[in-house]
Amino acid sequence: MTKLLAIIKREYLQRVRTKFFVVMTILGPLMLLGFTVVPQLLVGIKTSETRIAVIDQTEGAKLYEPIRSGLLKPDKDEEANDAKQAVAGSVNSNQKDRIEKAGKSYTGSFRVEEVKLSGRPLEDVRRELNARIGRGELDGYLVIPPDILSNSETKPAYYGRNVGDVLTSEQIRNRLNSAVRRERLIAEGVKDQDVDALSKAVGVATYPVNEKGQEGAEDSGAGFVLVFVIAFLIYMTVLLYGQVVLGAIVEEKETRIAEILFSSVRPFYLMLGKLIGVSLMALTQMGIWVGAFLVVAAYILPGLAAKGMDVNLPNLPLLFFVYFFMFFVLGYFIYATIYVLVGSMVTTTQEGGQMAMPIVFLLIAGLYMAFPVIRAPNSPFAFWVSMVPFFSPITMLVRIVSQKPPFWQIALSFSIGCVTVVLWLWLAARIYRIGMLMYGKKATIPEVARWVRQA
Amino acid sequence: MTNGHPTVSINNISKSFGEFTAVSELSLAVYPGRIYGLLGPNGAGKTTTIRMIVNITAPDLGEIKVFGEQITPELQDRIGYLPEERGLYKKMKVGDQIKYFAALKNVNAREAEQRVDRWLARLKLAEWKNKKASELSKGMQQKVQFINAVVHEPELLILDEPFSGLDPVNVEVLKEVILELKSAGKTIIFSTHQMEVAEKICDDICLINRSRKILDGSIREVKRAFSRNAVALRLVGGDAVLEDRNLLSKVRRDSDGIEGLLAEGASSQALLKALIAADATIERFEMIEPSLHDIFIEKVTENA
Repeated sequence: MTKLLAIIKREYLQRVRTKFFVVMTILGPLMLLGFTVVPQLLVGIKTSETRIAVIDQTEGAKLYEPIRSGLLKPDKDEEANDAKQAVAGSVNSNQKDRIEKAGKSYTGSFRVEEVKLSGRPLEDVRRELNARIGRGELDGYLVIPPDILSNSETKPAYYGRNVGDVLTSEQIRNRLNSAVRRERLIAEGVKDQDVDALSKAVGVATYPVNEKGQEGAEDSGAGFVLVFVIAFLIYMTVLLYGQVVLGAIVEEKETRIAEILFSSVRPFYLMLGKLIGVSLMALTQMGIWVGAFLVVAAYILPGLAAKGMDVNLPNLPLLFFVYFFMFFVLGYFIYATIYVLVGSMVTTTQEGGQMAMPIVFLLIAGLYMAFPVIRAPNSPFAFWVSMVPFFSPITMLVRIVSQKPPFWQIALSFSIGCVTVVLWLWLAARIYRIGMLMYGKKATIPEVARWVRQA
Repeated sequence: MTNGHPTVSINNISKSFGEFTAVSELSLAVYPGRIYGLLGPNGAGKTTTIRMIVNITAPDLGEIKVFGEQITPELQDRIGYLPEERGLYKKMKVGDQIKYFAALKNVNAREAEQRVDRWLARLKLAEWKNKKASELSKGMQQKVQFINAVVHEPELLILDEPFSGLDPVNVEVLKEVILELKSAGKTIIFSTHQMEVAEKICDDICLINRSRKILDGSIREVKRAFSRNAVALRLVGGDAVLEDRNLLSKVRRDSDGIEGLLAEGASSQALLKALIAADATIERFEMIEPSLHDIFIEKVTENA
């Protein structure tokens, strides 16, 4: 036991004391911020204003003014998404949704001019506008057919220099859409002041009912968000620290210390000590990050709330968080021990890196399994997939959040996971010891299988 | 000298890796307070034997007892092992490194601290205590590795090729330390393929070739059994005498002189007289015992 502690202590201190650790601890959150916020900002950046012309062929050019004001005014979010839908939406949103959203948040500036046909044929006017686009005087123009208010089959057309700018096209389409709808409703006799109220989107409040028939509080689906946050956390943690675990296992082989160690301590303890040491390092680093995050949040959240932002934390029972934590830790260890196993088979870190590739695929597979499970949390598929150790941390959590399975299933899934961890370690210890005795030789899978039987 | 119970007794052990037989039917006994040489060419099975003694692998057949007991992880703490494949944690300070290995042998931290200073001073490495291992020369690293093997004051010390890669000055330092440990009552198993080194410090030896024991016993007995009337000469002139097959049956010349075997029936006196008669200048004339190297070669060719 004292030996195990000595190993853990060394592994931990050696890693925490390095400059790399300090640098990573500081840079980590900055990088995360960089990866999440910067692309959003980049998408939103509009280097110059978009100059568009509108050819409104409707009678009396009724649509020009609403479109123009719609484009010039900051978006007032005519779809009236409430904040809760926005949260749920951000989870399931596809690319299009996200782009649209980004477009809404970063309204680009427009300059809009009206082009009248004044009796000329449309073709001539278009030729003229095309020429202006060609000279760079105009970015695009919109052709609105005369019968758009009465004929729902006709389509307006947008001609532009850069139709790849989906954000701008999307904005134009939105404004046009609401303007046309509005005018059509008014044409049908709806009063102008009633249009907004009538076209307001319907929000559906969702309430969970549990197996005992009890209704729960309104559930906005924040649980799902949390599950994906956890899944993402497991994913990031494994990616970040898996390599460190691998390096720690290979270290003694590369430095040729393994043999001395084996004359002092059981390989299983060595494996365990290394895993725990590195994990504590990971915990320290993540603890610092979470701590920093909470401090920042404590400063920022009251400010946001004061500005009238809807800051509501997910409304989940404490037990869920216990499960989240348990399965997060389990998920981390299941994958970390696979790295241990890989480390025991290879002689250098580079070799290990290549062999570790499939681990990432397993992780991603687990993530994808979550989708069918959300849709049918009590199906046989969901059951089995939440018992398979590589997928259970994510899929079981999804089930717990969506439709809580019987306790025995949760316990079974967790136990299977724990047994897997111990099994990996035990296997790794065996392979590690025998592999060490065959210096400098990369083991093949059949060889490894033979070693396991032999030792 | 072979009184008391053996520190290590090996009884008819065999070990193979797949098709390859590393050790077959080996028996030997190492007695307390002696330096035991495990000798043989590379690949003879020395390292495998040692690994079985320190409980890294287990024999397929046969039995090993250390301190009179079946080896257990607890007994490992009483053994010090310097493997042939050895290294250091490159980024760890020398002092911390030695303390870590001491901790792995259940030495408490305060005690370890003192021993680190003592050993570093003894091997003239005191000023390197707070340097990282990667800053040390190869020779210095090897001395640190040696300290790692002895810092828990083991009763049984096993050294696999301890001198390989060391310069002559450090070889002498290490030899001195090994002899000190011996006089302090420690038992030492010493494995090498360099017979000349073994010859100088071992009390007992065991010669292994191709997984099998060829012979064992105290170095005195072994040499006595193989004494063959060899004579070492350094001469100016007298070449004709050396060619006389009635006096010398075999002559071998090397840079240091001549080694010859007296022919059957010829005495050293007769050889000396003949050399004087031939007016040779005799710088050296010595009856010598055969070297372990010679004994080994003789036994191996005899068995083949």
